[in-house]
Amino acid sequence: MPEARGESPRGRRAAVGLVLALAAVGLLAPVLASERPLLARREGRLLCPALAGLPLLGSLFDGPAVRSVDWEDPGPGTDVLLRAPVPYSYRGVRLDEALRPPGGGHHLGTDALGRDLLARLIHGTRPSLLVGFGATVAALLLGGLLGSSAALRGGMLDLLIVRCADVAACFPPFVLALALTAALGHPGIAPMVAGIGLSRWTSVARYVRGEILRLKGGDLWASARASGASSRRLVLRHLLPLLAPPLAVMGAFGVAQAIIMESGLSFLGLGVAPPTPSWGTLLAEARGTLDAAWWPVVFPSAALLLALGALCLAAELFETPARD
Amino acid sequence: MTSFALRRLASTVPTLVGVALAAFLILNLLPSDPLLTWSAEGAAPSAEALERLRHELRSDEGPLARFASWGAALLRGDLGRSLVDGRPVGSVVAEALPWTLLLNLCALLAIYGLAVPFGLVGAASPGSIADRLGGMLLLILYALPSFAAAVLLQEAFAVRLAILPLQGAAGLDSGAGIAARGLDLARHLVLPTACLALSGWSFVARYARSAFRSVLGREFLSVARAKGMSRLRAWRHVLANTAVPFVTLLGGIIPSLVGGSLIVEHAFSWPGLGRLYVASVEGRDYPVVLGLTLLAALLVLAANLLVDLLYLAVDPRIRDTFLGERGDA
Repeated sequence: MPEARGESPRGRRAAVGLVLALAAVGLLAPVLASERPLLARREGRLLCPALAGLPLLGSLFDGPAVRSVDWEDPGPGTDVLLRAPVPYSYRGVRLDEALRPPGGGHHLGTDALGRDLLARLIHGTRPSLLVGFGATVAALLLGGLLGSSAALRGGMLDLLIVRCADVAACFPPFVLALALTAALGHPGIAPMVAGIGLSRWTSVARYVRGEILRLKGGDLWASARASGASSRRLVLRHLLPLLAPPLAVMGAFGVAQAIIMESGLSFLGLGVAPPTPSWGTLLAEARGTLDAAWWPVVFPSAALLLALGALCLAAELFETPARD
Repeated sequence: MTSFALRRLASTVPTLVGVALAAFLILNLLPSDPLLTWSAEGAAPSAEALERLRHELRSDEGPLARFASWGAALLRGDLGRSLVDGRPVGSVVAEALPWTLLLNLCALLAIYGLAVPFGLVGAASPGSIADRLGGMLLLILYALPSFAAAVLLQEAFAVRLAILPLQGAAGLDSGAGIAARGLDLARHLVLPTACLALSGWSFVARYARSAFRSVLGREFLSVARAKGMSRLRAWRHVLANTAVPFVTLLGGIIPSLVGGSLIVEHAFSWPGLGRLYVASVEGRDYPVVLGLTLLAALLVLAANLLVDLLYLAVDPRIRDTFLGERGDA
């Protein structure tokens, strides 16, 4: 893992802010980029069609009145009062609008099928962040659980887990993730979370196991034991707070790595299923129009660069506390 | 040295068995039957053909029986046959292997050849503008995935500037002279090598900088220089003292190169193992996928072995601890 240097605490805080902003963009994607208006009046009723696409809250705004309208062309009787900030669908194919350069109605231009690039970029944050965080949480949980039980139980279980970790570490992570994703069947988010998570638990397990074994020999352990603490209490109250900061660093870098893997798998056509965009899919699609357009290449690359750079810088925030 | 190497080699045997078992399990026990997938995708094969395929893949037997027969064949060096064209997996792999080795070797050379001087410059003048700019550049390179770099470089150098080939490994027919073909190959190598080296490069350069910095500040250097040691000899001592972390890094770079080959070879249509792997996964050619997964794990195991042996070569202290004073090196 690289250590950044010379970056001020302010820079790191900005990085954390950027990560949070990206998460917000992913969460609010259906509101930010949608052909559906934010606010519309139809037959005397106020509707919020774009909000219907939101996760969890969406069903509050959904209904037959929203679904019965073709929002690309609502026709008479429907007044659009407020459009979405990026008023395009991420999958609306319009061949007459193909490969429009940035500017005009499309801030970042359109792709070879006339889909708005900004809308696709905004919706593309979703699989990337979902898989990035999902796979990392899976890896942390699995690694933490296996590593701590290996160290606490010892004996055969320890040997078995260490051997398994040795074997798993022999597979290059991306190869393992690809093989698992392939074996789990159809492309999609869940196989990727499982595949990437399973390919990344070993370093967490090793670290947790090593730290617990080290602490087991120390005074903290003996005195906690002497005052009657159970193993569970020891792990949850005493070990977890000690291990949390380094695990947070591992987690932040892990999210960056998982995003690289997700977009890599999608780039190879083995990730999310079209027409759902992912940053990797956008770049794979851009390869088809290299000689005609630069914007489908440059903007998704920039998005990846921004997200991954911010995650790496944010990881530093956990590593060394801000000094001002 | 030989006996240590042999002992170290023997200790990898259980891992090797575990790796074979894991690779087999991943691709056999999970709930996707290649036969069913094929039937669903294209024209349904005849019942007779299905039967023959089932027999060949042994999907009518239990998993344990399948692993036993697969393992026995593996020990004989038989990896099965490709489901796409029926050729032995071994020969399919052997055809692509030299291309991948060439590309990875170039990437490794590029990583160390560029990262070490870069780290030296940063360490020699910490805090300077060059150092700070270098740090920013490294962060950017670290955060740019290889496939994004591949598409960006293709756009810039192959399409806009049109000075390097877009993809493939050779653009000339076999009638051209050897020098012309060598030059052509070198031109085709530039972009894939740069992409493959990218993440490893920033990784090593950051380590190089901190490793050199920690050695440059040490007292033994100023004493040696004060006693009149030449600048050149002093640098030799610096390099000798930083050799160990570079060897350790090798153990981390090789797996990432193997993984990176998949993407870079796919992006540049490089006729190596990575492209073969991706194509086999897409075509559900399980024997080839299994063989290549195994090969990748073997490469990592071999890299770890190499790293352990290199430790002995570069650090006399480790040599003494492991081999004792008897000098059986």
